[in-house]
Amino acid sequence: MGEASPAIAVRGLRKLYGDKAAVDGLDLTVPRGCFFGFLGPNGAGKTTTIRMLMGLAPATSGTIELLGLPMPDRALDIKRRIGLVPDESLLFDRLTGCEFLEFVGRMYGLPRATAAGRAGELLEFFELNGSPKKLIGEYSKGMRKRVSMAAALIHGPELFLMDEPFEGVDAVGARIMKGLLLDQVRQGATIFLTSHVLEVVERLCDRVAILHQGRLVMEAAIGDLRNGAETLEDAFVRLVGTERALEKLAWL
Amino acid sequence: MSSQARAILRVQCRSLWNFRTSEGVAGRLLAGALALLWYSLWAGLAVTAASLLDQPARAELLVILPWGLMSVFLYWQLAPVLAASLGATLDLKKLLVYPIPEGQLFAVEVLLRLTTGLEMVLVLIGSAIGLLRNPIVPRWAPLVALPLFALFNLLLAAGLRNLLERVLARKHVRETVVLLLVLAAGLPQLMVLTGPPLFLRQMAARKPLPFWPWVSFGKLAAGEAAFYDWGLIALWLAAAYLFGRWQFRSSLRFDRAAVEASATRPARTAAATERFFRLPSWLAPDPLAALIEKELRSLFRSPRFRLVFLMGFSFGFLIWWPVLRRPGQGLSGDYPVFVSLYALLLLSEVVFWNVFGFDRSAVQVYLTAPVSFSRVLIGKNLAAASLVTLEVTVVLLVCAVLRIPLAPLKILEVYAVTLILCVYMLAAGNLSSLYYPRAVNPEHSWGRASSARFQFLALLLYPVLGSPVLLAYAARFAFESQAAFFGMLGVAAGIGAAFYWVALDSALALAEQRKERLIEALGRGAGPVLTQ
Repeated sequence: MGEASPAIAVRGLRKLYGDKAAVDGLDLTVPRGCFFGFLGPNGAGKTTTIRMLMGLAPATSGTIELLGLPMPDRALDIKRRIGLVPDESLLFDRLTGCEFLEFVGRMYGLPRATAAGRAGELLEFFELNGSPKKLIGEYSKGMRKRVSMAAALIHGPELFLMDEPFEGVDAVGARIMKGLLLDQVRQGATIFLTSHVLEVVERLCDRVAILHQGRLVMEAAIGDLRNGAETLEDAFVRLVGTERALEKLAWL
Repeated sequence: MSSQARAILRVQCRSLWNFRTSEGVAGRLLAGALALLWYSLWAGLAVTAASLLDQPARAELLVILPWGLMSVFLYWQLAPVLAASLGATLDLKKLLVYPIPEGQLFAVEVLLRLTTGLEMVLVLIGSAIGLLRNPIVPRWAPLVALPLFALFNLLLAAGLRNLLERVLARKHVRETVVLLLVLAAGLPQLMVLTGPPLFLRQMAARKPLPFWPWVSFGKLAAGEAAFYDWGLIALWLAAAYLFGRWQFRSSLRFDRAAVEASATRPARTAAATERFFRLPSWLAPDPLAALIEKELRSLFRSPRFRLVFLMGFSFGFLIWWPVLRRPGQGLSGDYPVFVSLYALLLLSEVVFWNVFGFDRSAVQVYLTAPVSFSRVLIGKNLAAASLVTLEVTVVLLVCAVLRIPLAPLKILEVYAVTLILCVYMLAAGNLSSLYYPRAVNPEHSWGRASSARFQFLALLLYPVLGSPVLLAYAARFAFESQAAFFGMLGVAAGIGAAFYWVALDSALALAEQRKERLIEALGRGAGPVLTQ
């Protein structure tokens, strides 16, 4: 498989939990070098999709190809080329940020000295080097996201899978992270991100897809959306939202 | 070993070191002293094994070694299960995102099985030293046989652990399996007191069957292995490797969320339990009723609590039966009292000593909601007391089913003694929960629910807290009077109530001082290796 293959190609992806379909026949193509926003209301199946893309949850049916390689058959080769910022913490609370990043670097096959060097540089970049002896368990939520982002970058991946990467991050941290991600896309990396902050998605992403009750209800280029009359938020609410009847909460 | 496997082990050591250094000198010293004491005992057994094996004649060696190796095998494979501690394992949820080849993860998992068999490694080292000093055994024999036997055990233990972990993830299966295993833990004691059953005595009298692994490994260790034994050893090792690898691979592909989602409760059962949970609303006003209801719901949904509750009236019966059996006269009249008190001790792990352990984030709600913290503690304590009452009732019902004589006064005694002791434990538990908070995963059916340091303190606390009740029994013995007994119990109840209110006041002050530490302690996670 060459460079021409898309970064992500998903066909008929389905995930059942008991009788309930968390993801129901998803078809999705994300071209290389694209900043792709994957949106949907809570419980739409975004995180389940990312977990299946990473090979953390087996799909009930359907096929996944990442960077031209089939998942899970070529899981190891794929994982080497992917950076992940998960929704749940995969951090080790009893390590310092530097120890954790060095560990992650070594998991991706970097020599120890290189991993340690990059860990130090990333900590400095993300402004986490102020208290080097602080354990991750003592980090704030924003700091944890920053260290997760640093861990996703340490091996220079080609594809980033990010679940709510800006959640809990302050404005300065978010600015640093956004700048870095845009720079990665300029260098040819692909970013697949979920976020509930639609303004951020609208500003950063080239393309968006909206998932609702496990099904894809829209996929479009941001440019096409801008040409229309509605904003991303309008389109999102139209497709998945129901107008909340405030009059039902008369006591409020 | 690859650099990734080395990095996992190194980072785990680092995590443990960081954790220990944050524990303080006293905690480290205590943990070190307890470990030293435990392993010294096993080192003593290793010395005994060495002295037993360095002189005997060849014929005796071929009898001792298979039985000895079988004991090592049984301990290594079953003791972690029976002691409700599966030892360390890889936290696959955190490691699977990295490109680590399955073989390397398996190698680390196999090495981690040493954590549940260190005692046996000591015994095997002692045995090896004994055999090396034995003039009739070739030098190479123990050096080849015993490491291979250890490897066989490690591979098998890795497979068993992974199999058990997946079985225990199934909602309606895990309590049953764990209960059966825990009940099995009572069998050795039963056998010590009543003698082993006939089939076991017959088995022990016979020569072990030649195809068992301990026989072949024993012959190899004595330098007596024939071609047939080498073949059997190779087969056993291959089987253990394949089993371990197969089970580990299944765990890697195991989708816990899908398994949990597939378990549904019948509507009728759901309605009945809902009525049970709503009971506090009939008996107490809000917010107290809401607090008790929440506590009952959370506890009954926690596999760990359900297991302990089940054990109270099952395991308790099993282990006290041989102790309180009087030859020719049946069971002692105190049998239900002992079983109820034992059930109380079991419940203390989950409802007294670390009452916020299962709550984690809920504790922040308690601290921010417009409800006084005393209400929170009282709500938790009332829920705990109701569960103790329920447990005692079930114990008495089981006694009735088993036709164990129960006079009305004995029933009163069972309730009174258990509930009075419960008040003392609640008082001490409110303080310990704030002094030694520890996050506990309610999904894990077993493991420690309170910190190691507190478990040690609890050993000292039990006799102190139980002394007023013991005094009541002393009064009955001295005056041979039920009136003296119940009178003293009344005094103990009065003192208990006063102790409870004083302790509650202290706990409230403590909660105010330590709220930040409480939240922090309940939010702690771990490293790449989980310990259960």
